[in-house]
Amino acid sequence: MNNYIILSVFVALFLVFVALGFGSSRFRRGDMSDLGEWALAGRKLGGYLAWFLVGADLYTAYTFIAIPELVYEKGAVYFYAVPYVGMTFGIAMITMPRLWRMAKGKNYVTAVDFVQDRFNSKTLAILLAFTGIVAELPYIALQIYGMQAVLTVMIGHLTATDANIVTEIALIVSFIILAAFTFTSGLRGATITAVMKDAIIFASVIVIIVVVPIRIGGFAVAFTAAKTLATGTNTLAGLYLNGFISLTIMSALALYLYPHAINGVLSTNSTKRLRMSTALLPMYGIGLALLALFGILIYAVPSALADVAKYGAVTVVPSLIYAEFPAWFVGFAFLGIFIGGLVPASIMAISQANLLTRNVIKVARPGMSSKTEARLAKYFSVMFKFIALAFIFAISATYSLELQLVGGIIILQTLPAIFIGMYTNKLNKYAVGVGWLAGMISGIYLILDANFFIAHLPTLETTFFKFTTPFSFIYIGLIALLINLLIAIVGSLVLGPSKKPAAESSAA
Amino acid sequence: MSAHETESNWNYEAKGTTTQKLTVAILLVFPMLIFGLTPIYNIDKPILLGIPFFYWFETVWLVVSAVMYVFAALLLNKMEGADAQ
Repeated sequence: MNNYIILSVFVALFLVFVALGFGSSRFRRGDMSDLGEWALAGRKLGGYLAWFLVGADLYTAYTFIAIPELVYEKGAVYFYAVPYVGMTFGIAMITMPRLWRMAKGKNYVTAVDFVQDRFNSKTLAILLAFTGIVAELPYIALQIYGMQAVLTVMIGHLTATDANIVTEIALIVSFIILAAFTFTSGLRGATITAVMKDAIIFASVIVIIVVVPIRIGGFAVAFTAAKTLATGTNTLAGLYLNGFISLTIMSALALYLYPHAINGVLSTNSTKRLRMSTALLPMYGIGLALLALFGILIYAVPSALADVAKYGAVTVVPSLIYAEFPAWFVGFAFLGIFIGGLVPASIMAISQANLLTRNVIKVARPGMSSKTEARLAKYFSVMFKFIALAFIFAISATYSLELQLVGGIIILQTLPAIFIGMYTNKLNKYAVGVGWLAGMISGIYLILDANFFIAHLPTLETTFFKFTTPFSFIYIGLIALLINLLIAIVGSLVLGPSKKPAAESSAA
Repeated sequence: MSAHETESNWNYEAKGTTTQKLTVAILLVFPMLIFGLTPIYNIDKPILLGIPFFYWFETVWLVVSAVMYVFAALLLNKMEGADAQ
């Protein structure tokens, strides 16, 4: 009976979500056949909505599935997500108003639009566009893992025999619905539904973090029950210090290189609002910190541990919620987690579609009308959602977080062109291009090396490279970025800056 | 409408006194620096509500960061002036 109440609440709220998604095309109405309207909500988002939209990139499956999963499995090192969030908005405060200002009046939709102008190089722009598209894929796949985790627990308790097939069908159906409303409502749909998602998540997190510790007799009980986790329980094990710091700083640098984050930034309506909403975003991280602690709390809840043993560590948060709360609340919180994967997936697919349309197709066919551009982008956004869906049926990772960390290694290679390019015109396009190539190759090689060549692991399990002392574990993103930067900077010093593009001299 | 609102600006220089710029720099860099200096908060005690220092300090520091960033934003917005966005 209880399980049917959960399902009913879940389905009812999902219908509200769908109605909001389709209805939001009317919000601050614009011509949806224009790319700026569809993909940037007409650049009309004020401070509050921008806060929700960029915040939507934080409250994703990364937060309620991937981080708790690894805190539960491995312990303290995966609490890096908290300083990462605190740090990334400081970086955004410095870089993003500047990018916004550079983009204003030039109708930039992506950071690659800027790179093309700065370096006057179509090749570099296309390389970076593909980098962005590829880096988003594992991030979207992570969202799908999260949605799957909720469905697994919910459906697993309803039917033991057909759970897998039902879960897969449910996942595909919800993706078709999502694709349809992204197609019609674009970024407006994502932003409005992000408000609903965050309201549900925030309410759930607060209730859970107050109720569960009281029921189990305090956090101390959980920390004692957790005993010794591999990377430290009460504090971080010394061996993982460099791993923690490199994950923190690299993730902080990576977030605002992701096309979806820049998409969010460029959709705000002023630098002042952008700055203020960014400044307040670390508050979002409190929820992230509390959710990460669920990975410890669960050790004091035996029935939830039993579920995790059955359905996998990826279900830490849903299992804990299922074990401790009345059915209506479980349905409510589960829906929050589910759309917490869907909404970011929508935003990410929109940003991929922008890149493919603007920075690849349009370069080949400059005469394309803005109507055609918008239409193409809509279809691409649908395509990318299903590529990501196929991706997770095809590729398996031991821990869902590692997918996002691979995405991070890839997107970090765009840092010299975008972040450094924003502050200086002294970079050489060939040096930046070769640096990018070296960063990509070394990053991918080191991932393969750490997982398959050295450890012979069956699936992707780590993005740390293990040095002997004194470095011990280091996030591969840092190594690849350093190689990239070295080549980009030394190469630019040797070759001299690229020819000044027309855009810059005219704006001076 | 000022020029800022209609044209992109690649060579924007923040207006404001050296003191203002320095204050902004401190307000932005200090929170990030503390987050990066993991050894200073990688300790067990004092424990708060059963949570080791390592975990609760980072969480509390998010709030401190947000407050410092907001002051930086207010100052930067003031420096940007009324004519810009």
